[in-house]
Amino acid sequence: MVGNTSQTIVVAGGSLAGHTVVAELDRHGFTGDVVWVRGPEGTAPYSRPALSKELIRGRVTDEAIRLPAPREYGLRLRIMDLAVCARLDPDADRVLVTPAAEAGRETGGEWIPFDALFVCTGMRARLPKGFAGLPGVHCLRTLADAGRIRERLAGRPRAVVVGAGLVGSEMAASLRSCGLPVELVDQGRLPMEPVFGAELGRFSLERHHAHGVTTRMPATVTGLSAAGPEGPVSLTFDDGQETTAGLVILGLGAVTACDWLDGGGLDLSDGLACDAALRTARPNVLAAGDVANWRNPVFGERMRVEHWSNASAQARHAVGSWLAGQEGREPPAFADVPYFWSDQYGLKYQMVGHARGHDEVRVEEAGGEGYPFVTYLKDGRIVAAAGVNAPRAVMRMKARIQSEGTTTQGVHA
Amino acid sequence: MKLTVDRTLCDGNGVCMGIAPDVFDVDDDLVLHIADEIPGDPVVHAQIRQAVTSCPVLALTLEE
Repeated sequence: MVGNTSQTIVVAGGSLAGHTVVAELDRHGFTGDVVWVRGPEGTAPYSRPALSKELIRGRVTDEAIRLPAPREYGLRLRIMDLAVCARLDPDADRVLVTPAAEAGRETGGEWIPFDALFVCTGMRARLPKGFAGLPGVHCLRTLADAGRIRERLAGRPRAVVVGAGLVGSEMAASLRSCGLPVELVDQGRLPMEPVFGAELGRFSLERHHAHGVTTRMPATVTGLSAAGPEGPVSLTFDDGQETTAGLVILGLGAVTACDWLDGGGLDLSDGLACDAALRTARPNVLAAGDVANWRNPVFGERMRVEHWSNASAQARHAVGSWLAGQEGREPPAFADVPYFWSDQYGLKYQMVGHARGHDEVRVEEAGGEGYPFVTYLKDGRIVAAAGVNAPRAVMRMKARIQSEGTTTQGVHA
Repeated sequence: MKLTVDRTLCDGNGVCMGIAPDVFDVDDDLVLHIADEIPGDPVVHAQIRQAVTSCPVLALTLEE
């Protein structure tokens, strides 16, 4: 093995990345102490992608989406639920762990010394001031959010979904599938356009309309108010129009949850800055998942990736990087082609790669239905591809981007 | 290595295919096909383990 039994590893974050770090440490035979600070949710890890898909539609239960844990760990595991890492000591390898309710206040809590710290604290939903806490107004980030939304579905209230990104578009489709009248609002012209571009944005808009979702784009919500605890909610828009809804979903994106590291001597300008092997400026502090900002050698640039597959792959890699350091080896770079998917009206939108900064788009057809298939190029090289119900075409591009990027960048993935 | 998929759960999300394309193949009807012969390559075995634990709908089971 692998470290020694007197070592302590702190894992901050109770979702997929944290879960995978713990499982990987165990799989590698680490026999020391692991303190797993699982965060404010107070739940065992679960499949977050299922929230806006199967769970909202009532096709699975909360229990069915729990991530399976080994019956027994070989390492000594201390799980701290409803607790958060609140501070990283800039001068010593220790973190302050406080009850979640007291986060932000530094009274009490427990300083825990560590030999290694894995930062897997992910993101939280972005909520503009004044939009939070209104009855009938919900974001969707956590299992608790999904539960609160489901409680509102019974009377099939009119729903307004604000934000037509991935979560907003998926929620509009899922709520429509539950029989609710749905309006989808976005500041842009087309759903998911910043993600997929105009072609698939237009395709998506047509699907929403075909399923009876009304859209208000471009439009900006300027005011939200609730008439009472049971609603309805009134929304006003920048053009002066108004509407009401029994349920408002805010899909306004998410912000990285690593502000607790402020003052810990780390670069937090966009998530948590890491080297190519996912180590921060403090080599025994590593990151995985949505927070990790690293230089991806496949693309030769820094990025953060807010998707499921990335969280588990980075967690594995970060554990490997730490173990390499323990053995005096230089760890390899995390060279990966990001992948995500979205389910809407029975269609599977899939994207591989990193389209940011692309300067050319090619549109073809692919898959059995001949839906649009888009490749995104930068300086003449394919950097991303997206399709609908065309997994084989999408995954062929993943392999191609990986191998061409690896060749171009001279990296052994 | 015995690999099985629960078809009542599998939604063809393609995560497994992205990790281990030599073993998992999702067709354009979003139906998952698992290779009849699993390669003996330990790299592929590691990919399979990763794919099983990364399945977002928990549809894959592996017996080693």
